[in-house]
Amino acid sequence: MSSKSGNVYGLTLLCPIIDDPGAIPSHDLQIRAHLAKLSLGPDSPFAVAPGTHLARLVVLDDVIYVGAPSCEEHLNSKYLVFESNCDGDRDSYLTGLARKIPDALDAIWSHCVGYPDDGARNIPAFLQYMKRCEIETTFFFAPVNDKTRTQTLVALRNKAYIAHFIASHQGKPPAEIQRNIGALYARLKSLPDPEPAAIQVSRKMATGGRNE
Amino acid sequence: MSKLNASDIQGFSLRGYNLPFARFLFLHFTNAEKGRLLLTRLLPLITTGQLWDKKPDATLNIAFTHRGLVALELPLATLISFPPEFQLGMKARGTILGDVGLNAPDHWDKVWREDHVHVWLAINAQSPEALTTCFTQMQTLLEETGGATLLDFQDAGAIPIDGQFTTKEHFGYTDGFGNPDYLGVCRDTQPGQGKLMPGGTWAPLATGELLLGYADEAGELPVAPVPHLFASNGTFMVYRKLHENVGTFREFLNESGKRYGTGDDKTKEKLAAKIVGRWRDGTPVELSPDAPDAAIVNDPNRNVDFMFGQDLAGTRCPVGAHIRRTNPRDAFGFDGRLVHRRRISRRGLPYGPVAPPEDQPVDPRELDQADRGIVFMALNASLSRQFEFVQQQWISYGNDAHLGNEKDLLIGHHGEGERFGIQGDTTAANPPFFCSNLPNFVELRGGDYFFIPSITALGMLAMNLVDPR
Amino acid sequence: MSNINGKVYAMNVITPMKPSKTWILRLIFWVLGVWKPAQADLIQLKFIQFARWVIVPAGSFPYLGGRQRKDAMRYDYLFFFSNFNGTWNQYIDAFSAVLSDGLNKIWRWSEKFPGSVPVTPFKNYITSVQYDTDYYFSAYPQATVNDVEAAHLVNIAFESLCTTASSQTPEQFAQSYLQFVIASQSHLGATGEAPAVF
Repeated sequence: MSSKSGNVYGLTLLCPIIDDPGAIPSHDLQIRAHLAKLSLGPDSPFAVAPGTHLARLVVLDDVIYVGAPSCEEHLNSKYLVFESNCDGDRDSYLTGLARKIPDALDAIWSHCVGYPDDGARNIPAFLQYMKRCEIETTFFFAPVNDKTRTQTLVALRNKAYIAHFIASHQGKPPAEIQRNIGALYARLKSLPDPEPAAIQVSRKMATGGRNE
Repeated sequence: MSKLNASDIQGFSLRGYNLPFARFLFLHFTNAEKGRLLLTRLLPLITTGQLWDKKPDATLNIAFTHRGLVALELPLATLISFPPEFQLGMKARGTILGDVGLNAPDHWDKVWREDHVHVWLAINAQSPEALTTCFTQMQTLLEETGGATLLDFQDAGAIPIDGQFTTKEHFGYTDGFGNPDYLGVCRDTQPGQGKLMPGGTWAPLATGELLLGYADEAGELPVAPVPHLFASNGTFMVYRKLHENVGTFREFLNESGKRYGTGDDKTKEKLAAKIVGRWRDGTPVELSPDAPDAAIVNDPNRNVDFMFGQDLAGTRCPVGAHIRRTNPRDAFGFDGRLVHRRRISRRGLPYGPVAPPEDQPVDPRELDQADRGIVFMALNASLSRQFEFVQQQWISYGNDAHLGNEKDLLIGHHGEGERFGIQGDTTAANPPFFCSNLPNFVELRGGDYFFIPSITALGMLAMNLVDPR
Repeated sequence: MSNINGKVYAMNVITPMKPSKTWILRLIFWVLGVWKPAQADLIQLKFIQFARWVIVPAGSFPYLGGRQRKDAMRYDYLFFFSNFNGTWNQYIDAFSAVLSDGLNKIWRWSEKFPGSVPVTPFKNYITSVQYDTDYYFSAYPQATVNDVEAAHLVNIAFESLCTTASSQTPEQFAQSYLQFVIASQSHLGATGEAPAVF
């Protein structure tokens, strides 16, 4: 059905993690440890590679027992969940990742069952693997979905300049505004595309309870 | 719903007294036993919510910080059943509330910088004499019982103009509008006070938005400490001493007023109106965007009866105006249902010397330095869901109003580079206008979170009968 | 390792469903997908950047062979992933207050769902079935849905203004500029830090 909404694609992957009692720490813990240290800034693999608006990785240990009278059951494998909201479609997006950040992908997915031995550099095998792990999105809700990541970043950056322009040109004569707005327009067009995730907001946590 | 027993609820919780003089005493318990003795002596003097035939000369009410309840040696199970934000106290919630920079505790009054306040004991009085009589009575009680020391007190009172007490505050705005109606709380209801119903009528809010132990707007009893008997008929209060930089404010109005709209002598007042959402005489801008209108202000059936649904662009009342931020009414759609659980009841009063009239030239810095402002007191069943949420998400931030990081101009804590926008239209008198280099008009000088117990709960405290199970 | 990145929160909720009920949910999602008015409230809430529901039928957990032991479950599982702005409490309060019917239609098929009204048992349920995110990436963590929409709006108006500006007299430009400012005036809020999480 609709993994696509406008220009945005909702990719959901459920990748079984290797269960090897000989691995210490276990593969799921290795993924966790790796993700805990992975950058979220402009050097994040998902910033460097094209197409990702918002994406998450979750190590799914098990399903949750909600309590009697429901039955208790358990997963045999742990899974790596990858939820991405991206430009393009599954294959074009994943190809983009594989071309740009193969090592980063390998570092995460080499802990998963069936991942190609030669990793993301073997693009056909990589795509084939991802397809096997893809779960069809049943319903995808993406209210703002008609612009690419780059267009969104450009729009956000431009708006800051424009807002400042409006405030600082208040009360100025029309001819001056007209001149300066032409200059601003040209300047904005000439700026390079902003880096994704470049503006890092600090994490202030002051949680007290029954929250978050 | 159950009928409210006004004799069990402190009068301060149920209504504003409209008494012109006030003194708030801040006490520190000596020890639990003597503290209880003091409470036993105070108990019969506490003003309840019963209606008066004749206004008393003075009223007395009492509330406790969490550390005050700890000092009374309440059972641990009760102490830890209070909501986390109340246990932490207002100072510890500073990051959440945006109490940083000029509003940080290093700038607070000594009594609030230290963590010794256990009790808020409030005297509201008809006259300075009545206030002094009550105060002396309190001092005597403190001495006789040895139950607590008086750390400090804060005087406050209505600002008189031409010999008449007004509800104005020091910036010149008429205050005191907009307290919600609650089911069962007997007061003069006004259209616009409560919650909006589909069809455009107004209904009172669920009692549980103010008082613990009653159904709230979410269809359940609000989270409350145990035991029920201790929590019921109680409420939480946030007390904040807000210093007002009157000089800075007047300077700003004069300076920006000249550049706003047609720049004539009326635009200063219009600018003041756009900042708050009410003209300084109290006329709602939404109802009368071009001029104040005494007929509206003086009519209780009109002065809070308005909505923003027809003004989503903000050309009448700016989207970021103070009263629109604190009560968006129907501006977020859904017949205002996203707002019902974010309301607070205010009981504040101005404090400090009355500022000289605006036409008298006074050095603005001198005006700023005088110790004057508003004692802000707000009551709600849930500090985090009501006061803290509004303070953080609607005052110190603007996303829900689609204003990004923009803050409330009047009371927000402004840093460099911030802006405030007034939406306008093509008429010369109502243009779009953007303020930059925003000064800080209001500075926090201290405060805390308090629990205002019912009369029954006070009795339980006095007799050491709080039993959590 | 956080559910929060800047102004956006990643919520992961997984609930079990009896397979006999799943087809009803699929039908409901299908209706939601084709009948746009059903999404109107969700769109109006204005704090969801992206959200999705994924039904993983009992026998459909991916099996890639090798030494993996296949998962054949008794329940179907409903995965819910949301990227929303605002606090966790605000988000759930809002849904409970204005979208409770819709929420109930989606989650009543999940085991032990208590209903979305009143809100406290609902919050307790979500807490029990919510998973933590190990890595949450956003290309624009300083911006909310509203900020992104505002940015697009302002840019379109700006583009339109500038393409005609050069051929206008100052008087004509003054008019266009005023119209431009009016079109943008409630969309100019700066982006930046998110409020402290509480």
